[in-house]
Amino acid sequence: MKDFRVLIVDDEPDFLETIVKRLKKRKIDASGVSSGKEALALLEAQVFDVVVLDVRMPGMDGIETLREMKRMRPVMEVIMLTGHASVESGMQGMQLGAFDYMMKPADIDELLEKIRQAYQRKSLHEDRLKEDKIIG
Amino acid sequence: MVSMLERFNLHEKAGLRDNLAAVLMALLALPLWLKAGGVYGAAALALACLSFIRTHHLVERIRAAERQKCRLDQELIQSQKLASIGVFASGIAHEINNPIAIIGQEAQWIKHVMKGLDPQVCKGLPEMEDSLQEVLNQVNRCREITHKLLDFARKKDPLIQAADLNRLVDDMARLVEREAVSRNIKILRNYQPELPPLFTDPPLMRQVVLNLLNNAMQAVDRDGAVTVATRMSEKGFEVRVSDTGCGIPAEDLNRIFDPFFTTKPQGKGTGLGLSICHGIVTKLGGSIAVESEKGEGATFTIHLPEDNESHVCKSQSADSR
Repeated sequence: MKDFRVLIVDDEPDFLETIVKRLKKRKIDASGVSSGKEALALLEAQVFDVVVLDVRMPGMDGIETLREMKRMRPVMEVIMLTGHASVESGMQGMQLGAFDYMMKPADIDELLEKIRQAYQRKSLHEDRLKEDKIIG
Repeated sequence: MVSMLERFNLHEKAGLRDNLAAVLMALLALPLWLKAGGVYGAAALALACLSFIRTHHLVERIRAAERQKCRLDQELIQSQKLASIGVFASGIAHEINNPIAIIGQEAQWIKHVMKGLDPQVCKGLPEMEDSLQEVLNQVNRCREITHKLLDFARKKDPLIQAADLNRLVDDMARLVEREAVSRNIKILRNYQPELPPLFTDPPLMRQVVLNLLNNAMQAVDRDGAVTVATRMSEKGFEVRVSDTGCGIPAEDLNRIFDPFFTTKPQGKGTGLGLSICHGIVTKLGGSIAVESEKGEGATFTIHLPEDNESHVCKSQSADSR
């Protein structure tokens, strides 16, 4: 699998730092930002393959951010991260096209596995779009 | 639907008649035996018994076949009905989407303009702002419904990946667990260990499982249990979600997957959840069914076919990169 870029969005600085560091240690090109607004601004300028997004953040919350992200980059996959699972937000997130939900505290290997699967899905999706273009 | 039930009853009656005829034949053989006595009589009786057993067996088989056909017919009607409603609904949603978007934009614009007004000069400004906010809220509600509808009829093909079904189901169970505990609902798990990998569209499947869990919890409301189970059956992968809730009345069972069918109070549910589930499962090549008796809870069962060649190929090509 080729290198891919991951963006972590979480308002807890400790968590953010740790997870970015641990992903980098596993040779994943990971970056972190601490709010939905920052994430969207970064997405305007750069391309990411997978986003890991906290559901509960002050300001723009995870669901709102997800909606906007999917509008901007429909093929990019988003994994939602939640500490206090609410069924309602889970349903909303899945319907908006989230790849998966993960409960906090997230086990790093589990998260890594989900990121890989999300990336695989994104690649499949891109392949399909390319095929469609060739046929169309 | 009614005509099919009638046909079914007719066949039940015919079956009974055939059985009666066989018994009659055996009874007729009895005087023969008495009259002829000995070997011939016994042979006649034996033949009569044999013919009875044979007829009975045949009748049973015909009835089973008829039952199967009825079920298939019903499933076909159901899926055709849902498909046509889907086309219709997405057509409307598409038409309404644009006006709603314009209403939303204009309302946002008014809000922006109003911010520049002086409340001292312009009396009643706070009330206008309140009203405008309500307009925006309702626009959002409409938008959500049209999006769900478009989603429901979306032609997008699933993206097939290998998934661990138990894991997928349990992730969703964990997601609802905290809320379940707070309402004293037990989540019981009954997973068959070491299932083979399932080739499916994982996010779509998650959406279905989560939807069923949410429905089950709403049916229980408080103090009860929701059971999630997985296993391999003769029809492939099976996922079952059952609850100890209020159950579904028999007259609603046929309509439970119809779009907009809801028993919840107005504004509480769009009635699209289960029809979206039905659409997704069908798109994934599987089937979804419901069993329930009023007051006895309900069980939703999903069947998904075991992997096929093309799916495996797709996923392998993705792995090899």
